[in-house]
Amino acid sequence: MTENNPKDLAAVNAKPEYFESRGEIAPQELSVDEFLADERLREASTDRRDFLKFLGFSVAAATLAACEAPVTKAIPYVTKPEDVTPGVANWYASTYYDGNSYASILVKTREGRPIHIKGNREFGITYGGLTPEMAASVLTLYDGERLKNPLKNGEETTWSEVDGDIKKSLGAIKSKNGKITIVSNTIISPSTLRVISDFSAEYGNVEHIQYDAVSYDGIRQANKDSFGMDVIPSYDFAKADTIVSVGADFLNGWLLANAYSVEYAKNRKPEAGKMSKHFQFEANMSMAGANADYRGMVKPSQYAAVLAAIAEGVGAGKISGIDTSAVKDMAEVKEAVKALKSSKSKSLVVCGSNNKALQIITNKINHALGAYTTTINLNNPVAMFKSEEAKMMKFVKDVLVGKGPDAVIFYGTNPVYTTPNGAKLSEAISKIGLSVSTASWNDETAANCQYVCPDHHALETWNDYAPVKNHYGIAQPTIKPLHNTASAQESFLVWAGKANRKGRESKVYFDYIRTIWEQEGFTRQTEFADFHTFWNKSVHDSAMTVPAEAPSSPEFAASLNGLAGKLPKGGDVEVVLYQKASMGIGLQAGNPWLQEMPDSLSKVTWDNYITMNYKEAKDAGYNVKLDQEHGATLASVTVGNETFELPVIATPGQASGTIGIALGYGRGENGEEIGKAAFRTKEYGGYEMEEGKRASIGKNAFRLIDISAGYMSYDVVGSVKKIGGNYPIAATQFQLTAMGRSSIVRETTLDIFNKKNETAYNPPHMLTTHHGKEHVSKFDLWTSHPVEHVGHRWALSIDLNSCLGCGTCLIACQSENNVPVVGKDEVRRGREMAWLRIDRYYKSEDELAVGTKKEEFSYGALEDNIEENPSVVFMPMMCQHCNHAPCETVCPVAATNHSNEGLNQMAYNRCIGTRYCANNCPYKVRRFNWFNYPAYKKFTEINPAQDDLGRMVLNPDVTVRTRGVMEKCSLCVQKIQEGKLVAKAEGRPVKDGDVTVACADACATNAITIGDWNDTHSEVRVASEGKRAYQALEEIGVKPNIWYQVKVRNHDNAGLDAAQVEKDYAHHGSEGHGNEGHH
Amino acid sequence: MKMAMNQLIGKTSGFILGLIAFTYVSVTSFSWAANGEELFTTHCATCHKVLESSTGPKMQGVRAKWEEGGALEGSLHEWVRDWSVAAAKDPYAASVATWSPTAMSKFGFLKDEEIEAIFDYADNYTAPVAAVAAGGGDAASGPMEEESNSWVWILIGIVFVGIILAVGGVRRQLKYATVENETGTAPAEESYGDEIRSWAFKNRKFVGIIVLVVVMSGLVYGYLALNTVGVYHNYQPSQPIEFPHDIHAGVNGIDCKYCHNSVERSRTAGIPTVNVCMNCHKGVKGKDDAQKEKIAKIYAAAGFDPEGPGSYTGETDPIVWNKVHVLPDHVYFNHKQHVLVGGLDCKQCHGDMTKEKTARVVPVEELSAIEGNIKLTRPTLTMGWCIECHGEKEISNGPVNTVGSGYYDEIHRRLMDNDKELYQKYLKDDKVTVKELGGWECAKCHY
Repeated sequence: MTENNPKDLAAVNAKPEYFESRGEIAPQELSVDEFLADERLREASTDRRDFLKFLGFSVAAATLAACEAPVTKAIPYVTKPEDVTPGVANWYASTYYDGNSYASILVKTREGRPIHIKGNREFGITYGGLTPEMAASVLTLYDGERLKNPLKNGEETTWSEVDGDIKKSLGAIKSKNGKITIVSNTIISPSTLRVISDFSAEYGNVEHIQYDAVSYDGIRQANKDSFGMDVIPSYDFAKADTIVSVGADFLNGWLLANAYSVEYAKNRKPEAGKMSKHFQFEANMSMAGANADYRGMVKPSQYAAVLAAIAEGVGAGKISGIDTSAVKDMAEVKEAVKALKSSKSKSLVVCGSNNKALQIITNKINHALGAYTTTINLNNPVAMFKSEEAKMMKFVKDVLVGKGPDAVIFYGTNPVYTTPNGAKLSEAISKIGLSVSTASWNDETAANCQYVCPDHHALETWNDYAPVKNHYGIAQPTIKPLHNTASAQESFLVWAGKANRKGRESKVYFDYIRTIWEQEGFTRQTEFADFHTFWNKSVHDSAMTVPAEAPSSPEFAASLNGLAGKLPKGGDVEVVLYQKASMGIGLQAGNPWLQEMPDSLSKVTWDNYITMNYKEAKDAGYNVKLDQEHGATLASVTVGNETFELPVIATPGQASGTIGIALGYGRGENGEEIGKAAFRTKEYGGYEMEEGKRASIGKNAFRLIDISAGYMSYDVVGSVKKIGGNYPIAATQFQLTAMGRSSIVRETTLDIFNKKNETAYNPPHMLTTHHGKEHVSKFDLWTSHPVEHVGHRWALSIDLNSCLGCGTCLIACQSENNVPVVGKDEVRRGREMAWLRIDRYYKSEDELAVGTKKEEFSYGALEDNIEENPSVVFMPMMCQHCNHAPCETVCPVAATNHSNEGLNQMAYNRCIGTRYCANNCPYKVRRFNWFNYPAYKKFTEINPAQDDLGRMVLNPDVTVRTRGVMEKCSLCVQKIQEGKLVAKAEGRPVKDGDVTVACADACATNAITIGDWNDTHSEVRVASEGKRAYQALEEIGVKPNIWYQVKVRNHDNAGLDAAQVEKDYAHHGSEGHGNEGHH
Repeated sequence: MKMAMNQLIGKTSGFILGLIAFTYVSVTSFSWAANGEELFTTHCATCHKVLESSTGPKMQGVRAKWEEGGALEGSLHEWVRDWSVAAAKDPYAASVATWSPTAMSKFGFLKDEEIEAIFDYADNYTAPVAAVAAGGGDAASGPMEEESNSWVWILIGIVFVGIILAVGGVRRQLKYATVENETGTAPAEESYGDEIRSWAFKNRKFVGIIVLVVVMSGLVYGYLALNTVGVYHNYQPSQPIEFPHDIHAGVNGIDCKYCHNSVERSRTAGIPTVNVCMNCHKGVKGKDDAQKEKIAKIYAAAGFDPEGPGSYTGETDPIVWNKVHVLPDHVYFNHKQHVLVGGLDCKQCHGDMTKEKTARVVPVEELSAIEGNIKLTRPTLTMGWCIECHGEKEISNGPVNTVGSGYYDEIHRRLMDNDKELYQKYLKDDKVTVKELGGWECAKCHY
């Protein structure tokens, strides 16, 4: 049936006016006849309708053809490594050290790929404590912008070429007795130090400067003055009954914070009848401040006064020249003095300032209290943080004026980024005859060097460490080097003529370490008779701890006179430079997991900002009520000669007259290739550009460091000017308070907990019925799931007292469950994919404690009137695995349903994406896949799954969810199945420890406990029946499998004491709340 | 014009008749000596070829040779079942035993008529010359058979359409002729379409029913066809090395777990690594060229030089196998759970590999025919197949697996102690099945 109807053709052939009017563009002769010049084409019956038929057919055919899976290839090993079984994970003990933090870690590898990092709880000095950065470093390994070859003047080249050039230049310098400077971070590796001394021996005139981005030199100098010991002592927060911290965020960033967190949490279990009492004096709301029992808001310039007042109060003497009048009547100071006096030697006072005078006063207080025999051990010093500030400042000064050394080698350090005058340094490096960097990226410093000899990633190389006097660690490689890189130590040895390159399989440095351990380690121990066994054991544990020398209290020798003149000065606006849990000092700014991790307090992702006193910000007209559309107001900060613009986040708890700016942002200011995620992206993909370069996220706060007083001060003075604007902010939580809802957060004091029964601080939810009050669990809309009887019932207990809000669990969850990164714009729209979040609640003025309303309150005040110095509760929130789950009943396709092990399971392939479940979830923990994150162009810059390397980090046991489906916490069902299988294979019931989930595994403070609730002896069962156990939103009757433990603060709260009275629930009897044993 | 049409019809008819005859021949050739051929390929072909000697002597004419050689009555059958018995009794058989140092495998299970069928096949066998014969020869391997069948049906369909058209054409010509005869004038030629339309209108009830039936059956068949999408029925991809499972697991009796050695430790059973092959094949170098060729591929992969001093060159080249049992990405399957804990035999899902060549997805009918297997009906490797088994398989209170039952005893105890009613409900069919303990739940396999 041809449809080449001549009538129609005539109509088409007619010259349309439209064409005429356009003149030349469509020549009038060109008719359809001519256009379809080919006779056959005209005769062909493929007209529009047939074309559509063919199209339809081919689409259908293509669809069907696509259903047929392509041939899959399977390539087994030729010779299988003995310890690798495909499908079974191997865990290797190793060590993490980045110059700023240290931990003994366990690395999970699958078929030779590291895919997950957790803390090593069995060995070492960090008790399994981890930071988000450490957990996320496994992704940094696969960063596509890491250097793949050595560089010469920015061009990729071969090792033989760079080695030849460098050796030639060094030889020339040696022959004229020129000076070679090695700038590194603090090296705690005994073998590396030996390598550098070998190098120095070869070239003679070698200066080694150790320099840390964040320096603790003040502590060392103070201890030198006080006790004649140039050390940072070991602190033991577990032994301290009273902890006073003045500006030291010892739970995040300060020294060995990851270890201190675990020690700290050990002494915060109210079931023991006592808890440590923690006082924090600070300007920024820090992690330590958020967890403190008493928090005093002071400016950094008042730290001295606080310390002096405490010193005077505890009888350490009056420090002349310090005016304590402004602080000595602060309730927190008085309480602190009282507590210190009663706990005496079981006290610990720490100060976060890098100012020597402040540290001397701190020492004096500790000395007077007798802490040097208990909580502080000068005899077991920390070997980290040996920053030689003076030498470094001189080096920079010399280089700037062209009087630098003849050659410089930067190893593990990035001074162009981290020094206050780094911008000038970047230009001046070229004045040095030979400049070499061993950086893994062509970073700010490396980009200015002639040669870049990229070091391995820490997971690719051997190393050894001695972070504390009594402890040694080993880092072992968990993957063969991905790129043509070489360990920096090998480079030094090659340049010194002591070794030759051996390619990627090189064992040069491994053999070197082994020899050192044979000579130095093996000979000093008696446990092992042969070195081989000793070495194997050392590598297996990767941590070797020998008993520490007992602490002793030497004479305090420092003079307290004249300290007053050396204290930090105040000013109009005092700027506190701090480290975020996610970003630290910016070593992994290109890591999208860390960029997207919400800040512990502000909950802001992908950004650097100014934290400002809430009331001040409000009064000055800054936008304090942020949401999707209402961004932050910009302000410009000026410190010294540096000025830059940042958005302002009004932050409860920020001391008036101070602001805070996080370090670690503003990486790659000149568009250096330091990782794709370090740069701002546009709304629909692609980078935002500034002057033709990728615009970095945030601003570099290292530029603000004040060195005018001869030391690096991170508390500086500047000014702020409001600019305005509406800067979009991507935060995962905009609301600030719990609105006084005790069904979400419950808080009490240690005193109440000890003296009253649980009906006072943890009352059951009772409903009034015609025959009296009944517990909410007695009312059911649904028939019961048989989870209490059959098999297992997986449950979590989350202790709000042990959760310090660090966020390591967030990264662990992301890493374990292949959670996609979605970028700033998506987070702003509330489409973040994180399965686990940590809700942060500030106390409002109409609350007695977080979650407990005053008798008289207004909802407006509950929402907006945040206390100026509020207490904070962190509440990890994930799928509650409700046994009567509201999400399950509304799913039209039963894609989400309940397992008889109590899991709310999600079958992605059934899900049709109606999102009813998310709307019906009272906890708002469900996440919808809006996009094809591993392919859509919007996420190219930030989603690691978009390149072949980044995909290697995916956990092969967990599906990568596709667009259009719901997802949420599965309670790591893959790990549950794995744990059960271990028990089955051993022919025994499941016991505690078999089954773990990523968040619980990552949490070294044991805030999260997982177990089988049906096992009456399991830890989680016992916890769920404890006096502090409650369930979030229990009154709605969804029967979650997650229990929370009431937050207990060790402070006086008269209002709360009056409100939390014991009640009589006679009808309820002795049954606990939340138990479901009634069916 | 008319003549040309008639000629065309005549030609087409001839062609069609030819096609029918051809199809008939080729269809009948399928059944010819099928039994003997199947037995030969299953049991003998590893060592014997029909027309030439390989590991064993050529099969054609063996019967006659034995008769001529003066072998005892029934001696040949005895030889096939156990050559050593025959050799002990019969001097001719004893002489045959010296033909090769390699001893023949024993086939005690073969019946007399089966042995005869094999020799019948061998004696009547002719080398494949035509494509038809080759098709017939290959038809024994499942997937090919199906394909050639469907071609036959398509051909038959074309033939029928051709016949209908031809008959219709003839009828039209006759009709025109009649009209022309009666009226004297040639009628206006109606097009086929017009004619069909008017005919359909006249018989609209009949046509309506036919259309309904066609549409309905189209939907039914379409639905059934869609159900086979992604079903690997008898999927047997070609492999870089045609690995004969029957020789390794059958003739040589190597335990499956020797090569697939992570089956009790991992989610995957593990494709053997080349070093496992080399454990034996360093010494076993193959009897004939065909075997040597295959084994040479192992040597190439392992970087082993059998001719030289027997050492490894270090130049390895992994073997790229084609995966046979392919599960979708969203399915988690764990061999350890099923083999070590569940105590399942490999053949429950993989069939009797002692009789298979390269691995294939054994159809469920074949699996269910195997003794000791749980009988299932849904296609192999589909979700229906998995959960059907989970609904059947018992998890007893007592030893259920190779490693003891401590885990499941506790599960049973909890049921007995906490919910007797439920336990009794489960026990209605006298067993607690995997399903009843949660084996039908989504998150057991999908996460």
